[in-house]
Amino acid sequence: MTITHHPDDDVLAAYAAGTLDDGSAFVIAAHLAMCGACRSAVRDFECIGGVLLGETEPSRLGRAHDGAVMQELAAPQELRRKLAVTTAPDTAVDNLISIFGQSSWKWRGFGVHSADIGVPVDNGMRVFLLKAAAGTRMPQHTHSGVELTLVLKGAFQHEFGRFEPGDIEMADGDIDHRPIVDAGSECVCLVAMNGRLQLHGLVGRLLQPFVRI
Amino acid sequence: MHGPGSGPLEFLGSRLARRRMSKDSEKQKQARDQARLIADVAMRKDRQAFVSLFGYFAPRIKSLLMRGGAPAEMAEDLAQEAMISVWRKASCFDPARASPAAWIFTIARNLRIDVARRSQREKVYAVLETVEPDGPEQPDAIITASQRESKVREALNILPPEQLEVVRLAFTEGMSQSEIAEALKLPLGTVKSRTRLAMTRLRQKLEEVR
Repeated sequence: MTITHHPDDDVLAAYAAGTLDDGSAFVIAAHLAMCGACRSAVRDFECIGGVLLGETEPSRLGRAHDGAVMQELAAPQELRRKLAVTTAPDTAVDNLISIFGQSSWKWRGFGVHSADIGVPVDNGMRVFLLKAAAGTRMPQHTHSGVELTLVLKGAFQHEFGRFEPGDIEMADGDIDHRPIVDAGSECVCLVAMNGRLQLHGLVGRLLQPFVRI
Repeated sequence: MHGPGSGPLEFLGSRLARRRMSKDSEKQKQARDQARLIADVAMRKDRQAFVSLFGYFAPRIKSLLMRGGAPAEMAEDLAQEAMISVWRKASCFDPARASPAAWIFTIARNLRIDVARRSQREKVYAVLETVEPDGPEQPDAIITASQRESKVREALNILPPEQLEVVRLAFTEGMSQSEIAEALKLPLGTVKSRTRLAMTRLRQKLEEVR
């Protein structure tokens, strides 16, 4: 798998710092499962946390805690549910979905279905799977918020490039695009987004009331 | 005329460089010692080794969590919890992949996410931990975790102050980009671009050893 579109470094840094919102963190985690280069970058960035932790002025520990901690060490370890180890992107996302749950597919207009993922939202970020039939032409649109799209299956392209499995697209109000799904196969994406799609053109404006993405 | 390297400034410069170097090798030795302690915990359930790790890291994790907004008592409880995780997960620690401080930072980070009542997200990170690398993870075999740490430290040392500031606020205060933008009264885009510049600097430093 050759991945050409990666998240921006500031997003990977926020992921490493643990400050990304849940929805984006979910999509980034799924991308990392597929992308060795970005996993490696996150590991480098986590090292910043290590260096700064080492430089942090230590706080005095207030209470007598040694006893309690030592007791805890002796306690039997709870068995953590071991998730299937996988390299296949589909399975990595399946793992995530098996934890968070997925609603059934719903029709969203223009050959597109979506299914919500039960990731708790903050910042109004929603996470869902998007499935578009082969050859679907989405209307020209932009976004009222931000959108992270990770391709899981199939491919689409638009003015800014071609997106295949593992590729991630970051779009916001500055990006105005018109994705076209490859003719050969349906396309399934994992999406985190806040705000709404904003359609352009006469047809778009007529469609807007019916579009629920 | 002084020859190169013989003037007082050059002399001072080389002394400073040596001092910096020795500080760096001290840090590297500390990291190696800590890695050995974690290995002792993993292999022999060595409590003495754990107590040493606890003594160094617990007070620092407490500070980190307090900076992230946790009250002192909660920060202390969580620091203990983080260290108990260190005890339990010691066998997962891979010294080739992370320095002890970086590894323990990720444990504290995931706890901090809990503090922010975003407990579900820890699951996202947990999934990531269990996912095996797909394809090569960059030629990391040739760079050790302690080399990486010292390069990251170097990069942080030479960051322009405005870049270091946004990096610190994210990694030690646990602030999101929009929180940083608000705190510094900067446009969100500026926080993002400063972070990206800082990460580019870091990547360049790491390239030197890759």
